[in-house]
Amino acid sequence: MSGPLSLGWRNIWRNRRRTLISMSAIGVGLLLVIFYSGMVGGMIGEAKNQLDDAGMGHVEVFASGYRLRREVGRTMPDVRAQLHLPPGAQVGTRVLARGLATSARGNEPVQVFGVEWAEEAQLSAHLRKLTSGALPAAGDDRGVLIGEPLAERLALKVGSKVRLMVQRADNEMGADLFRVRGVYHSIAPAIGQRQVYVSAASARALIGIEGAAAHQVVVQLEDPAQADAVAGGLRAALGDRVEVLTWAELLPVLKRMEALTDNVVFAMAFFVYLLVGLGVLNTMLMSVLERTREFGVLMALGTRPSRIIQVVLAESFWIATLSVVLGSVLGSLLTWQFSRTGLRVNPAESLQLGGMIISTLVKTRFNPLDILEATAFVYAMALVVGLYPASRITRLQPAEALRRT
Amino acid sequence: MAVVEVEQVTRVYQEKGMPPAHALRGVSLQIEQGEFMALAGPSGSGKTTLLNLIGGLDAATSGEVRVGGQALSGLSRKELADLRRDRIGFVFQSYNLVPVLTAAENAGYVLELQGVGSAERRARVKAVFDRIGLAQFLDARPLKMSGGQQQRVAVARAIVSAPAVVLADEPTANLDQATGAALMDLMRELNKERGITFIFSTHDPMVLSRADRVVRLVDGEIVTAPS
Repeated sequence: MSGPLSLGWRNIWRNRRRTLISMSAIGVGLLLVIFYSGMVGGMIGEAKNQLDDAGMGHVEVFASGYRLRREVGRTMPDVRAQLHLPPGAQVGTRVLARGLATSARGNEPVQVFGVEWAEEAQLSAHLRKLTSGALPAAGDDRGVLIGEPLAERLALKVGSKVRLMVQRADNEMGADLFRVRGVYHSIAPAIGQRQVYVSAASARALIGIEGAAAHQVVVQLEDPAQADAVAGGLRAALGDRVEVLTWAELLPVLKRMEALTDNVVFAMAFFVYLLVGLGVLNTMLMSVLERTREFGVLMALGTRPSRIIQVVLAESFWIATLSVVLGSVLGSLLTWQFSRTGLRVNPAESLQLGGMIISTLVKTRFNPLDILEATAFVYAMALVVGLYPASRITRLQPAEALRRT
Repeated sequence: MAVVEVEQVTRVYQEKGMPPAHALRGVSLQIEQGEFMALAGPSGSGKTTLLNLIGGLDAATSGEVRVGGQALSGLSRKELADLRRDRIGFVFQSYNLVPVLTAAENAGYVLELQGVGSAERRARVKAVFDRIGLAQFLDARPLKMSGGQQQRVAVARAIVSAPAVVLADEPTANLDQATGAALMDLMRELNKERGITFIFSTHDPMVLSRADRVVRLVDGEIVTAPS
């Protein structure tokens, strides 16, 4: 068999060392791109997961005007019956107020979250990570959950009394005495220091609002990519009396960061492939041009220019294939390994958003699509790189090619 | 009947900053079907240039070359490639076998270009190898063969597709006298058996002595009257 693919395969082994060096260069470049892309994707994914765990929704619904001034009197009625959400979505209603927590030690500014315990525990991972105590039982209107930093500052522990004072809807001050039922741990110091949780009924009583009124409805989706579509549906269903926002609108910095890292990965991949491509181009040019006479013979025997191009591209194809096998297997193994074990980073160097440490353990994202994209890029590069030497050869008259040594 | 017609062909090489070099000056020649002829002349006389023009490997500056009645000047690169594949065989001075192909694959290369299936290709190559005494070298790599054996593979490659014309550019130049003579005898036999036209360029007296006709070139011009 001396078809282009067969001939290309045999040709690449004429200079075994050169082929292995080219292959290694492309393979290592591919490995780097796959791993780096997995690492950055993992960091962003981790950031999103941590925000999910901190109780942030992919879509959040607020009483109209509440976000602007945080006036507790701006509430919305119970809209949950009107929410048509995809399967697997978690929903929670919150009554919100700002105030002071006071103990015998002193007082600290806090944000009071009035919640339904069971649903909030689904939304906020730190409520599932209590370092002491337990979630208050349903109907427990005196129970409060606080974070470790607040407990430390106010010298509180499970069973301690704490007084919560907030501004009421009628602009008077409202206060009540609660008992600490549990202390939670959050990886975000700001959350542990500020957020205290009481039952929704207690919060309503504290700020003087009635019925099922609330300030915020939080929706967490199984697939965050559905956020825009779900938000659009909610806006249409709920109208102007509420404000519907996606996570990208609530935390534009994260969205921008995601876009930025995508660009960084693209730029990094571009330059890696550019450098690798130039190296391979040099190799291919040497390999092809030193065989100019042989290509002249093939042309003399009646080989059409298109077939000469096929033979050269077949060499690029085989080098790309071997490199892709090498690079994608090693890159996948490395990415897969770190997607399981993670890569520990110094907290001082880790990603922070609003004072919240997003992650100290970066787990790479193992996404077959990333690998497919990188692989397709290598093949495209190999074909482009192969076209130039092929065109150099086919531009020659056969007699001219035969004169070359 | 003329299988090759060369009419007032001139080939001028023009390189930047250099004066034009006239490789051929108004050469006219007719070569009949089945001829066994030689182009003779000193180095630089235009022998290889004339062979290249007849084989469609180069383009004439002026004049016309016809192979089997087909004028080459109007053909595209693809059409010229197809013409060489189907009607012309080449034997080069330095064998020019593809080192990554076996002897049989080298010899069968043109058949593959013609779309001949692998079994038939192998059978036809084997028949030629049997005829030229290379039966045991079908699967040998060229670099494992002697110069004479490689040149016989090159001859097999040139004739296996039964072309109208075989162009051989100093085919014995890299061979010793005995091997060269044996190769010439072989080509002569193939010429007689198969009616293939052979055109050689050479300045080897042994080759010239075996030719039916010798056309001498000096400085790009024919100095003996072509018959």
